[in-house]
Amino acid sequence: MRQGLWRRIWEHRHFYAFISPFFLIFAVFGLYPLLFSLYLSFVQWDGLTEIKWVGLANFQNMLHDELFFTSLWNTLVIGLLYIPPMFVGAFLFALALNAGWIKLRGMFRAAFFMPVITPMVVVAIVFSLIYSQEGGLLNYVLGGVGEVFPSLKIKPIAWLTSDTWFKPALAILLVWRWTGYNMVLMLAGLQGISTEYYEAARIDGAGLFQRMWHITLPLMRPVFVFCAIMSLIGTVYMFDEVFVLTQGGLGGPGVSGINFGLYLFNTSFADFKFGYASSMAYTMAFLVFLASLLILRLRKTEN
Amino acid sequence: MARYKHRKRILAHLPLAGMACLFGFPFYWLFISAFKDKSQIFKLPPEFLPHPWMFENFVRVFQETQIVRAFFNSVVIAGGHVALALFLCSLAGYAFAKFPRAPGRDKLFAFVLATMMIPVAVMLIPTFVVLCKLHAVNTYWAMIVPTAANAFGIFWMRQYAAQNIHNDLIDAARIDGCTEFQIYRRIVVPVLKPAMAALGIVLVINIWNNLMWAFIVLRTESMYTLPLVIYLLHGENRTPFELIMAASVIATFPLIIAFLIFQKNFIQGITAGAIKG
Repeated sequence: MRQGLWRRIWEHRHFYAFISPFFLIFAVFGLYPLLFSLYLSFVQWDGLTEIKWVGLANFQNMLHDELFFTSLWNTLVIGLLYIPPMFVGAFLFALALNAGWIKLRGMFRAAFFMPVITPMVVVAIVFSLIYSQEGGLLNYVLGGVGEVFPSLKIKPIAWLTSDTWFKPALAILLVWRWTGYNMVLMLAGLQGISTEYYEAARIDGAGLFQRMWHITLPLMRPVFVFCAIMSLIGTVYMFDEVFVLTQGGLGGPGVSGINFGLYLFNTSFADFKFGYASSMAYTMAFLVFLASLLILRLRKTEN
Repeated sequence: MARYKHRKRILAHLPLAGMACLFGFPFYWLFISAFKDKSQIFKLPPEFLPHPWMFENFVRVFQETQIVRAFFNSVVIAGGHVALALFLCSLAGYAFAKFPRAPGRDKLFAFVLATMMIPVAVMLIPTFVVLCKLHAVNTYWAMIVPTAANAFGIFWMRQYAAQNIHNDLIDAARIDGCTEFQIYRRIVVPVLKPAMAALGIVLVINIWNNLMWAFIVLRTESMYTLPLVIYLLHGENRTPFELIMAASVIATFPLIIAFLIFQKNFIQGITAGAIKG
């Protein structure tokens, strides 16, 4: 039996040869980091001096770390600000581009999708130009609106440096950036729905609204769930956007511009608290995992 | 009645076109700002066309910044990363699809998939430590290798290979005396090509635009990539803003032009994971 196993392995030596380059790199840059990071979450280490075992102290510190909770709160608020409008927009665009009678579909799709492939640093710089308090286009347009409707009392807004406006400004940028991505996923989902359903519904006399409610939305549920999980992960670990807009967390509106991704990065590579950062990363990965499971459950109900 | 419907359909294009303009506007603003004079960029009221067209911004950005070197670095890193990742993923993906009786195959594959759930953020510090130990910080390798063993890529390649490569073809090649690696090169790779193109595009987007990892592992000016150079130019206040805009155009437009040419592959690359996964 034992000999049989070795013989079978030898017979399939090409299989192991073919997967070994992948697994070699995977072991060094995937598996080992995973375990090492778990170990690091129980130690204190700055990368240079000796590693000091501290047990659960990192996790206890997290409970008293105000900035940690601020970053979670900011992440939550930013997510709630941009994900709903993004979803609605993406779905409406996808519906429109799925309608056969819309012309120039390729052009529209390209226009909505192009932000996805633009370097985030460029996006952030262009938006900071548009948001600029003096000389920015957005404040200029708002000023024009204010002249037409003086009762609104519109003043120039410090989009990127005020506590109140940083998050909405970021949310606008994120909607612009990610709507096209979700639209493309939803469009693929819509195209996967067999037209037979709609034909049958039409014969039964179902109206536009009924077809949407009883066919499109239920069948799109897996795509929505996928988009929701991607958005959740993207929001929690978002980095480039906030990093550039707040100039590394140093500029911008102070702590109200720090989300979890930026806080994790700064704890790791500005403060060099490798142990504490690892425990935060693992805690967050666990929370995201739980949240993803909750979202996945939505996929199953009503079947 | 039919005419009424026709008119309604034409009108339905209007909001869509409006939104498309709104989404396209930051690109327009980026593009014209790169050709503006510095004083014109922040001028009020804002002007929607450069006057005069400062083509010399692009000459100056070549002379006064590290953009040429950064462009070269970005191309080397993107090329190396994509080539390596495609090789690893297609070879292993094919093996997982077409050697069904190899002992441990399913367990190994399930294991790779399980690690897909773990976010990159957890790996940042240890990966950096590993690179330090290998003396690979501030080299191209630090950007090319770590994310090349991509679980998503192997999953996708396996799926595609299982559906599209016929066993008869492989068996015939074996009887003809092809070595296993020749089978991979001459039979498997040509079939996998569409999927590899789509996966390659996703990988290019990610690595070309990557800022965080570049910021961590690239330390000297001669190694900087485009996003990093632009970020640093933006951070230091002495760089003229029109040059930052010109550099941004240089960093952005290669991917946009590639996208406009290969739109189908791009969309395939983005959706493949979602629909099958």
